[in-house]
Amino acid sequence: MPQIQVDHLSKTFKVTEREGGVRAAMRSLIRRKYKSVAAVDRVSFSVEQGEIVGFLGPNGAGKTTTLKMLSGLLHPTSGEARVLGHIPWKREPQYLRRISMLMGQRSQMQWDLPVMDSFYVHGAIYDLPKDQYQSTLDELIELLDIKSILKKQVRTLSLGERMKCEIAVSLLHRPSVLFLDEPTIGVDITMQTRIRKFIGEYNRKHGATIILTSHYMADVTALCRRIIVIDHGHILFDGQLDDLSEKLAPFKVIKIDLDRDISNYDFASLGEVLLREGRKVEIRVPKGSAPAAAERILSDLPIQDLTIEDPPIEHVIAKAFGGGAAGVPGATESTSEPVVEEVAK
Amino acid sequence: MRHLFRAFGVILKTEINVMLQYRGEIVLWSVWGLVNPLVLYAIFKAGAQSNADGKMAGLTVPQIAAYYFMIMIVGHVVAAWDTHDMGFYIRTGRMSGMLLKPMLPLWKSLAGNLAYKICTLVFVGPMWILVVFLIHPQFDCKPWQVALGLVALVMAFALNYCLTYVIALVAFWTTKLDAVGELYFGLSMFIGGRFYPLDALPHWLRIFADCLPFQYMAYFPAELFTGHMTDPALIVRAFVTQAAWIVGALISFRIFWSAAVKHYSAVSG
Repeated sequence: MPQIQVDHLSKTFKVTEREGGVRAAMRSLIRRKYKSVAAVDRVSFSVEQGEIVGFLGPNGAGKTTTLKMLSGLLHPTSGEARVLGHIPWKREPQYLRRISMLMGQRSQMQWDLPVMDSFYVHGAIYDLPKDQYQSTLDELIELLDIKSILKKQVRTLSLGERMKCEIAVSLLHRPSVLFLDEPTIGVDITMQTRIRKFIGEYNRKHGATIILTSHYMADVTALCRRIIVIDHGHILFDGQLDDLSEKLAPFKVIKIDLDRDISNYDFASLGEVLLREGRKVEIRVPKGSAPAAAERILSDLPIQDLTIEDPPIEHVIAKAFGGGAAGVPGATESTSEPVVEEVAK
Repeated sequence: MRHLFRAFGVILKTEINVMLQYRGEIVLWSVWGLVNPLVLYAIFKAGAQSNADGKMAGLTVPQIAAYYFMIMIVGHVVAAWDTHDMGFYIRTGRMSGMLLKPMLPLWKSLAGNLAYKICTLVFVGPMWILVVFLIHPQFDCKPWQVALGLVALVMAFALNYCLTYVIALVAFWTTKLDAVGELYFGLSMFIGGRFYPLDALPHWLRIFADCLPFQYMAYFPAELFTGHMTDPALIVRAFVTQAAWIVGALISFRIFWSAAVKHYSAVSG
């Protein structure tokens, strides 16, 4: 039986809308215009115990709204969900004791007090038995390496130190389900790696079910075998990470190092030229025609090195979201839109 | 229930620790609590002295001093400020963190309120003694009135706290409710007996005040402590009405809390 079961879950927000400027502001005093925004639109999925699922999508896609509904913060407009057998938005204390939601940009700590005080309050609120509280705390202190900062005032901590403490306080009651919303946001690469490693260890040790949103693909590739891609409130993809590029971007990238300068070869006849700098060439070709293209290159050109690679996951996601193709060599609106349409169908 | 008390005790201790980080602010708030009643006392005293019988609303100057002195103490004990805090918690997204905990946010707020009262007592206590020496209040109360006054004071705090919290829930719809808070505060000043004894109100305004709960948050306990309220029938009626308002506020809280959480949009995180 899945630990998280979501059926046709929707959330629509009613938001005010007006033009900029004083005149529009005066008009809105008398007559306000509202519009409905569907943040999440009939989303369905299920998650088994012990799974780590990456929830991916651009800003405003509906990731955090979904997590907020599953954690009981938001009531849905329609649809159903059960987490650990509970309806989340009933907010039963027995449910809230078994989950945790970590929001990377929000602090749960006592800002003015030493770190240890936040742990102590958390233990009291969750009614943790003394032995369990102490053993979990000792374990978290060791795994997250926070012993040296326990007496420091929270407001004086660096962002990385604070994030480690936020994670520790979120896990102190050993939640069975964890909702992690951007857990590595703003921290440096070393700290990101440490946090990822810790989340993976927690999952393995306690069999916790985890849904993770992140803008850092490294978080997703390091932790999640399964991902759910969401955009404009709709699920675009739900499956294994390995299958993502197959579904969203069925291309290969052929990287060539030429032996000498070639000026008059028609690389565009092989596929989309992503890069051409001196003797380096990168071409994106449909997956099915990659072997033939490689064979033609090897027979036509003096080659020093040739590799055929899957496009990086960041590029696949960026292409799927069309406008978010920044940083993707050669990605354009026209090439990416059909991919989204096709998958959405 | 035992868990709730234990958790509340820990939160209260933590809130006291937080409060002690801001000693300067505690002193300033303590001083501010004295200013309003003392200014009003000075005005009322001048009014009484300009009258031929030396009285105002039937009170002599020492009785007026006793009244405002008790208003000063009652005002400090019953103070609640959730109408200001709630909007801030919701606008900044802090409410989300509170709602994720298996304990109503109300308990944290109550602990913060009590922590403030406990911490400020160190400063306001000596100030109150100093005020007694400055204004020479005349208390006509008997021990039974003081005992009932203490009960009325605790109930006044419960009533004001519950009503303030219920009104603060408006923030779940509007996110900014400072104006609502000020309106509530203004009414509690004008028709709750904190500006002047209710006997000084015009008849029509007194009827209006009798229909609202504000006098049970200040005027009623103050009148018991000063010894001005002696009629047992009136006292019983006041206690029953005060209790009824508390029950009404608690029922309102249950209804509005469910609606507020359902409406919560978790802005800013």
